[in-house]
Amino acid sequence: MTTNAVSFAGVEKTYKRPRLLGAVYHTAVQDLSFDIPAGEITGLLGLNGAGKTTIMKLLTGLLFPNAGTVQVFGLPPSGQAAKAKVGFLPELPYFPPQLKPGSALAYYGRLSGLSGKELSLAAEEALQRTGLEPHADKRISEFSKGMLQRLGLAQALLHKPDLLVLDEPVSGLDPLAIHDIRKLLAGLNAEGRTIFLSSHSISEVEKLCGRVLIMVRGRLAKTVTRAEWEAAPGGLEAIFVEAVK
Amino acid sequence: MKTFVPLAWAVAANSFAESVRHRFFTLFTVFAFTAIYASVLAGVMAVDEEARVLADLGLALMELTTLAYVLFQASSSLLKEAETKTIYLVFSRPVPRGVYLAGKMGGVMLTAAFMLGVMGLMHVALLAFRGFPVPAGYGWALAGSFMKLAVITAFAFFVSLFSTSAVSTLVISGIMWTLGHFVSETRFMAEQASGFKAALLKGTLLLIPNLQLFNARDVMGAACSITPAAVFAGAAWILAAYFASLWLLAGKEF
Repeated sequence: MTTNAVSFAGVEKTYKRPRLLGAVYHTAVQDLSFDIPAGEITGLLGLNGAGKTTIMKLLTGLLFPNAGTVQVFGLPPSGQAAKAKVGFLPELPYFPPQLKPGSALAYYGRLSGLSGKELSLAAEEALQRTGLEPHADKRISEFSKGMLQRLGLAQALLHKPDLLVLDEPVSGLDPLAIHDIRKLLAGLNAEGRTIFLSSHSISEVEKLCGRVLIMVRGRLAKTVTRAEWEAAPGGLEAIFVEAVK
Repeated sequence: MKTFVPLAWAVAANSFAESVRHRFFTLFTVFAFTAIYASVLAGVMAVDEEARVLADLGLALMELTTLAYVLFQASSSLLKEAETKTIYLVFSRPVPRGVYLAGKMGGVMLTAAFMLGVMGLMHVALLAFRGFPVPAGYGWALAGSFMKLAVITAFAFFVSLFSTSAVSTLVISGIMWTLGHFVSETRFMAEQASGFKAALLKGTLLLIPNLQLFNARDVMGAACSITPAAVFAGAAWILAAYFASLWLLAGKEF
């Protein structure tokens, strides 16, 4: 039996925006059900406002569903046990500019329960895996967007999570940085880690993922496997365009 | 509890380091030093009472300067972490919200203690420069200021969780700080009043922390200027603000 790393069942998330008189409601995702088997790389595609970031936040316990259930390795995502198994890279992560990458990683490592030698080894390894080791003495204020993204990945990897949740991991990066990050993610997956990433870049998702979920206006429009898009004329792009039209 | 203390300490230490690295911290320290030094002028004008005026004015300036800085920090701390999305990196980890809140509050309180310590040293040096000894009960006066600042810090965190901006948190906390120094007067008015007015004033008294309990500099020289009951009241106020904040934070989405 395949273990599911992530399981969404009938999930709905509605945002409430208070106004002077009453409130405005916006449903970001509705009737959403899908599973992500452990050990897979799954992509999440959709236009702006399709609900991709909402799914990532529901998965990491930053948002709570209005209906349905979300599970991470069979556990509720807001619980400490599930969070210990997850590494999250939000879109455009922020780090205090005056810090050096090692200090930032030390802080997030402590929050992940690491300490002492284990912490310094984990920070060192994360810097090395993300290619930041040569920049360890620079301040974060000197970092380029690509380096910040690598640092974001490094903090997500610190505690060796079983599931990596990556929101737009290659957004705005140059081709070399994209290549390096792709290589890193493929390596992490080869170690058995489950990766769930959202992206606007169909070609990146096509290169990395084994399965893709296509979201349209808060609903899961299609689930496509690698075999399906490889067999389809026009590949994943044609399937995506067809689904969102 | 096993993980509460190290996690809360990690958050507090990080929050403290960010506070003292902030460019406003240097500005406030320079301002405090200038203000304390300027109190020499007032002291000179007081002629025979120079030592007392220099001590009282310096302590008051230190308290107000630290108040301004800790309110600035407490009102913007959570808001800034949410705006920069730093909070995503914290709450996606196994960090209970209560631990994070305790750490954040602790960090600002540490900043207050540090500022009071630094300014206290400047003040004592200035007193020595003018040839005056450290007044009796000076440590109690500083401890009293710290207790007041700790109470208002916890309150400001609570307000910051429902107010729409850092400015409104500053204003509401500033009002609470002022009201907290007029509790005796409010109690007197409540005793004199009757009917709805008396009930309203008595109800208000329940909501306002009595910051006069910590005005140890008013009774400097007494053997112990802050009573255990005052410390207990302060701790109760901080805990009440903490749990009220936690109640709001627990249901908050990011």
